[in-house]
Amino acid sequence: MINETLDHPRETSLRPLSSDKIKTVTASTFPRLVLEAEGPIAVEFMSYGCAHCRAIEPVLEQVAEMVKPQERIFRVNIAVEQELAGSYQIEGTPTLIMFLNQNEVGRVEGPSPTVSSVLTAVTQPFESGAEAN
Amino acid sequence: MMMQKQPKPILLFNDECAVCRHIGHWVQRSAQSKSGATNIIVQPIGDDPERLRSLNPDLDIWDAYETIHVLMPDGSMKLGGEAVAEVLRDLPNTRWFAWSFATSIFGFRPFQVILNVAYAILADVRPLFGCESCGKPIVLRPIQWVTKWVKTLFGGSPHPSPHFSSLSAARRRPLAISGKPLPQARAL
Repeated sequence: MINETLDHPRETSLRPLSSDKIKTVTASTFPRLVLEAEGPIAVEFMSYGCAHCRAIEPVLEQVAEMVKPQERIFRVNIAVEQELAGSYQIEGTPTLIMFLNQNEVGRVEGPSPTVSSVLTAVTQPFESGAEAN
Repeated sequence: MMMQKQPKPILLFNDECAVCRHIGHWVQRSAQSKSGATNIIVQPIGDDPERLRSLNPDLDIWDAYETIHVLMPDGSMKLGGEAVAEVLRDLPNTRWFAWSFATSIFGFRPFQVILNVAYAILADVRPLFGCESCGKPIVLRPIQWVTKWVKTLFGGSPHPSPHFSSLSAARRRPLAISGKPLPQARAL
């Protein structure tokens, strides 16, 4: 638990500010950036108030770096985009949904916050899809 | 990023947590004098990381949700028990005893330490009092570990369960592109 006064910008020992490696999509940009886009796309449905989402955030950023440019990862804030979350039947956060050519090809709820687990979650659905083809 | 100058301290509270919401509203009510003036501004954290950074460039939305933050007019931030002490100093009803938190004995502030511990305990047990976004309290983690271990023994998934939102499992309504409905998503 942190009890302190920060008088100056954070030092490197503290966690850096969340980066923009994962872009946030909204209901208005979702069709263009996710559904109409080509190639594999993973979307994390999350909320900033969710402790599990916080745990997975740095891992997901790391995985986003590893899989680009073949695959893109976006996030949807369900606290803002409730209708969008409802349309995909999101029951808990974080939920990762993988899309390929407008179709949902995979879904993982609450993946373990480890690189291997998240990497498997965001890549495996596309590998099995490619094998099927 | 330009920082918005605030003339008064700002208390940020997690409005997805029932306990924090009640405390935030209590602070807001208590902070108002009879004339309507207030010594502290109370705001929900919200969902916009950029808005928070405009209040203080060092303020990260994930940190804001993890620990109570008070943003000071001089650009500094108080966190955890220090933030609680600052709030108590700013409220007319609690100001009379809040001086104790600054009392130092050879550099040791005993009342502040007690407050820090009390805040840490409250922060951990919030889920028991209806926090929708705090995850499971630390006191319940041993039970969680045992449950997970037993599940794994019987071939269940060892992955932690996700945080369940208040969103209802609404019937899926696929989004349409250019007026055409999407094909139904493949069942997993």
